[in-house]
Amino acid sequence: MKLNKLLLTVLAGSFLFVSCNNDDDNSTSAPSGAYDNGVLVLNQGNFGAGNATVSFISDTLTVENNIFATNNTSSILGDTAQDLGFYKDLAYIVLNYSNKIEIVNRYTFKHVAEITEGLDNPRYIVFENGKAYVTNWGDGGVATDDYVAVVNLSTNQVTASIPVAEGPERIVSENNKLYVTHYGGYSIGNSVTVINTNNDAVVTTIVTGDAPKFITEEDNKIYVLSEGRPSYAGTETFGKLHTIDARTNKITNTIDFPEGAHPSNLTIEDDKMYYTIDNNIYVTSLNAKTLPTQPLFSVDEQGVYGIYAFEVEDNHIYIGDAENYTQNGKVYIYSTSGTLENTFTVGLLPTGFYFNN
Amino acid sequence: MTLKKLFLPLLLLLCQITLAQQDTILHLEEVVISDTQLRDFSNTQSVQKLSDTIIARNPASLTSLLQYNTVIYFKENGLGMVSSPSFRGTTAQQTAVIWNGININSQLNGQTDFNTLNTRDFNSISVRAGGGSVIYGSSAIGGSIHLNNELDFNDKFTNEVRTDYGSYNTLGINYNVKAASKRISADVSLSRNSSDNDYDYEGYKLKNDNGQFYNTSINAAFAVKLNDQNILRLYSYAFDGQRRFSRTLAAPSKSMYEDTNTRNLLEWTGTYNRFISRLKVAYLEENYKYFENFANYNFTYGQVKTFISRYDATYDFTPQIKLNAIVDYTQNKGKGSDIIQKKRDIGSAGLLFKHSVSNRFQYEAGVRKEITDAYQSPVLFSAGANIGIATFYNIKLNASRNFRIPTFNDLYWQGSGNPNLNPESSYQAEVGNVFNYKDITINVTGYYIKLQDMLRWTPGAGGIWRPENVGKVATYGLESVLNWQRKFGSSQVTVSGTYAYTVSREDGSSDQLIYVPLHKATASVAYGYKGFSGYYRHLFTGEVFITSDNQSKLDGYNVSGIGAKYTFPILSGFSFGVQVNNLYNQEYLNVAVRPMPGRNYNMYLNLKF
Repeated sequence: MKLNKLLLTVLAGSFLFVSCNNDDDNSTSAPSGAYDNGVLVLNQGNFGAGNATVSFISDTLTVENNIFATNNTSSILGDTAQDLGFYKDLAYIVLNYSNKIEIVNRYTFKHVAEITEGLDNPRYIVFENGKAYVTNWGDGGVATDDYVAVVNLSTNQVTASIPVAEGPERIVSENNKLYVTHYGGYSIGNSVTVINTNNDAVVTTIVTGDAPKFITEEDNKIYVLSEGRPSYAGTETFGKLHTIDARTNKITNTIDFPEGAHPSNLTIEDDKMYYTIDNNIYVTSLNAKTLPTQPLFSVDEQGVYGIYAFEVEDNHIYIGDAENYTQNGKVYIYSTSGTLENTFTVGLLPTGFYFNN
Repeated sequence: MTLKKLFLPLLLLLCQITLAQQDTILHLEEVVISDTQLRDFSNTQSVQKLSDTIIARNPASLTSLLQYNTVIYFKENGLGMVSSPSFRGTTAQQTAVIWNGININSQLNGQTDFNTLNTRDFNSISVRAGGGSVIYGSSAIGGSIHLNNELDFNDKFTNEVRTDYGSYNTLGINYNVKAASKRISADVSLSRNSSDNDYDYEGYKLKNDNGQFYNTSINAAFAVKLNDQNILRLYSYAFDGQRRFSRTLAAPSKSMYEDTNTRNLLEWTGTYNRFISRLKVAYLEENYKYFENFANYNFTYGQVKTFISRYDATYDFTPQIKLNAIVDYTQNKGKGSDIIQKKRDIGSAGLLFKHSVSNRFQYEAGVRKEITDAYQSPVLFSAGANIGIATFYNIKLNASRNFRIPTFNDLYWQGSGNPNLNPESSYQAEVGNVFNYKDITINVTGYYIKLQDMLRWTPGAGGIWRPENVGKVATYGLESVLNWQRKFGSSQVTVSGTYAYTVSREDGSSDQLIYVPLHKATASVAYGYKGFSGYYRHLFTGEVFITSDNQSKLDGYNVSGIGAKYTFPILSGFSFGVQVNNLYNQEYLNVAVRPMPGRNYNMYLNLKF
């Protein structure tokens, strides 16, 4: 009955990518806790089933699942983990269906605090100017109650909310400005909202292709990947890749994807841009004017669904596979040339990778 | 067209028989029922009838009645919330609910929510295990649940009022009137149930917030004897309920759900000696509204209107040989916020045959075929025998092919429905052993079900979920039902129990399907002495896996209940009863992150006049 809505919610958060979660300081240091020097895998869990978990894959290639339950008295992290953000020594885990942000020590995973007030269908989190910003859909079926929540990081309270267009999704920060994609919630969006973090007010809105889901920043440029309108939601449109100049907030470059293509999973690593179409991984340069016709490689040996989470870090490509959604997922680590290096079993619906160094 | 061609010759044939038989003397059975196949063509399978006493001692939801007294396992999203059965290890869509002979499973999702039926509205509830698609159509794979209103023409006028009040401000009222003369019979039941349902999650600092519900239902059955040959009957059932969907251990909730269902059936029965003709016309309507947030008025909805006309003719060649032909035409009209507006026509014809060769041996056989342009339908069959091995021991054998048709959601969901689906279909067989010795009855049935073309929603290219006929599942198991009843002077003792062992696996996997317990058992002891009666009952549900790789599971649990009732000889009987549910305050989960209530109480008054 409400399957569609459930699926949309689950799928809307399915490809998680993080632009700025890597610490600036990458030099190896003594571990600050059990979960230093490795990657945290956020496992979304099934919508309504309360089985979101976090796994840890160390740099020495061992995996530990369910690390929140292991280190806390409550075994339940929450329902539908959507995003994880680092701020100082803390990790903020956005639990969409729980309407909650769980705050833990990023190295020990011990509970520190939680935010439950002021959130309504929270999606993604970013930190800027000493504050956290969290996108919220409000009721999925209501177009006018969407906002970005402003969180005071010393009190862990939502102090303000910035009303925005329907379905605010991923959010990045650059030079005291926030860029929010409007994937659209239960509808299909086509814009990016720019917010000034000095006064927490909307600066402007930039029109993009349909269903902009992925956004990343690099050197004063914002890259936005629109998936295009799916065939079941009216007249089908296809992917677009936009480059926005963060100084002028104008689109300086738009590349259209070929007919039939609904790209996903945009990420930048070592001045290269990676994205996926279905089970194919593509790479191109940041200032490309055309798109590669051949994929870097394909992950067809994976399970039924394919790429549920995607990240590139230090010459490795990380892929999360949700398999059939009713069993534990897998993480595949490939070299950037497409050689499968490692496989790990993680929790249900691995949705994002967060490098904890 | 094909259907018409099929229908017409059959009708003509039957008319001739009618005329030929009309002048013979009629013998009417004492009780008239609509679901005659449950009586006449279910002798090679196990049928468990739940008595009035058992119905009365259970809460008004069908889930609770069946959970505690049959082999059926229920997955209930918290008390009173959406509840779906697994009968013989099958899915919720593979159990049919039959109301006065009419299949009332939802056309939208293919299943019945067992918390949207009030048991007090029916005077007979039976559980028929195993395949029944030849008679009852879609979904009768694991088995079928039969909700009937039996009517008779014995002079009477009785009224009964029952009021329940229990923990969590749970309130129930049922009024039933039965009136009958030699020519007219009526049975009308009105129910209202409501609950705050805000029980504590034992062991957590949480309550079952947003779990409140209420529902109102009316079930009416009328029969008029036009003359010695002809009876006209009307059955009507309306249910209107609103439920909030409760929170879980991991997430709060503000959603709400409304069900409004109406079912009407008009039946004309002509009995002409050895020939019985039944013409049935039914109109069913199901509606749901889902509110993401109860506080605002945005909702999604679905609606299906179903029209059924059925002609059912039985001819007794001899008292031992019975032939039953059924032609049926069903039209469904569905619409909703998420489905394409669609009309679906299904015609079917079936033939059932029964031969009682001797007291010790009878056999049954049936065949049925549906014709529709919505999907390809297999030929369904059923064949069985009941063999008396000894005076105390019978063997029942049955084999059948059954199906579950694709639903409106499967076929017509906006953007993801798949119009090219086939029905799920099964081949199944069972061997039943029935022991009757003095006051004791034991039923032990072993079965095997091979299901193919299992419908499953799977994520495809571009992240679009679509239903496909992908799965193959093999299920086998053992179920047993025990009853022992004995009178000692003015005392009466009844002991009953059920046990089910169920293995259900996808082909090529050794993992048990999720939410199918390997073991489930129920037991109850009841004692009566003059106006007093009391019972103790117990439910054991074994562990269930909640992920398909069997890496996560819910623990098994034991839940007991106790109750007592005293009937004062005022008017036709005035009873007062008290019940304690979950006596030992067991903390348990029936579905992940959804705790069930701890110890709770109910009391009731029942007045007959």
